[in-house]
Amino acid sequence: MSDPLLRVEDLHKSYGDETVLRGIDFELERGDVEILSGPSGSGKSTLLRCVNRLTEPDSGTIYLDGERVSGAGTDVNELRRQVGMVFQDFNLFLHLTAAENITLGLRRVKGLGKAEARERAMEHLDRVGLADQAGSYPAELSGGQKQRVGIARALAMDPKLMLFDEPTSALDPELVGEVTSVMRELADEGMTMLVVTHEMGFAREAASRMMFLDQGQIVERGPPEQLFQHPEQARTAEFLQRITQLHGGEST
Amino acid sequence: MAVELTPVAAPLQGGLVDAASRFFLDNPDWGYVWSNRDAILDATVVTVQLTFVSIVLGFLIGLPAGVAEVYAPAWLRVPVETVGVVVRAVPILVILIYMFYVFSVSSSPFIAATFALGLRSGAYQSQIFRGAIQSVGEGQMEAARSVGMSKLEAIVYVIVPQSLRRSIPGFQNEFTIVLKDTSIAIILGVTELLGTAEDLFLQQNRTGTALELILAISLVYFVLTVTTNRGLEFAGDYFGVPTGENA
Repeated sequence: MSDPLLRVEDLHKSYGDETVLRGIDFELERGDVEILSGPSGSGKSTLLRCVNRLTEPDSGTIYLDGERVSGAGTDVNELRRQVGMVFQDFNLFLHLTAAENITLGLRRVKGLGKAEARERAMEHLDRVGLADQAGSYPAELSGGQKQRVGIARALAMDPKLMLFDEPTSALDPELVGEVTSVMRELADEGMTMLVVTHEMGFAREAASRMMFLDQGQIVERGPPEQLFQHPEQARTAEFLQRITQLHGGEST
Repeated sequence: MAVELTPVAAPLQGGLVDAASRFFLDNPDWGYVWSNRDAILDATVVTVQLTFVSIVLGFLIGLPAGVAEVYAPAWLRVPVETVGVVVRAVPILVILIYMFYVFSVSSSPFIAATFALGLRSGAYQSQIFRGAIQSVGEGQMEAARSVGMSKLEAIVYVIVPQSLRRSIPGFQNEFTIVLKDTSIAIILGVTELLGTAEDLFLQQNRTGTALELILAISLVYFVLTVTTNRGLEFAGDYFGVPTGENA
């Protein structure tokens, strides 16, 4: 069990002439909550999407739980079964109720029976405080509720790692708290999480580490307090100062 | 099997001029139409059968073709697109002649007509479904893939169900077009509505009643069109779910 949960080695990604990731290396231990931060276009979302290969990296290797999960001979669906993802725009299945959003993957991917899938969906809706919305369609839910269903959908698959791609960026400010508090509980329960966010309050309180990206490279990485208070790089300091002004270092 | 092409236009032209003038100048003769109501009812059944089988055949062709045009690799997508472009470029009457006389897909005029109407409808339905599929956000596919579903599972369980609901308005049009175009089966002697009307005024030498017969079958087409469109609207509401952007 000495392997880290996630190991990313020398990841590169370009879109045409534009190089987005230029050699990313990092590891996550079990229970780590790591914030990916950086200016727009720094490659943080691309990096997150490369971890479950929604974006296929050009080169580099990803290991999950000691197993190589990228490159020739690996099953991308097998990787995604073990890695949950939460999207900025929620991406709930529009034609399905909150409960059905969760049961679809359980039934088709995990192969659970109808009753068992339903039971598990209800457990996870309850966990995010939405048991009473099980029969609601996405269009009938608020943004914060949608995102909590999105989290429940990913969690129900029993992932080893959870990826969050700006989970609160599409929300009205007053709805951010209900999503970050669910994420904080998840962190407290020991879930390994990789989170792209500008919510610096969440970063300070829940994150074990923070990674600052710029121009496709990791500029600096360390505990959030260290990056906030004693950044080694001028770029880190400047960015975090600006983002803190915008999104607050106070907890919500 | 030799089937005589029915010379539709010539007798109609001569007959209708007479008929129209008598109809507008004199009392119309609905008695002849009424006395042949059984034949018209039988013809209505044939028209409905032609429509239904052709639409189903078109759906079985069009849905996979629409999916292929969006998601298939080039070796499959390009041939599918090409066949669609060619079929849509040929008039339905010409497709029917190909099916019956050139490819001889069946010795039955009814079956040949359903092949022609079904193939042509498939070519158009593929575009209805392609458009509906493309209007489903990219995020839906990503979300399905992110929980570990294969591309095919994502298409079957997430993309297609949403596309079908979005394709109902286009499908209503297509249904109407196929229903009315069943009348071209007259050239193979299929006793659908138009063919039957023509039989009634030609074979019994009742060209004077041609306009009444044509009006009667027009009414049948109208009733069928309106009821099926209402039915599809009802189905759309029944199976519909609340929709919203970015959900």
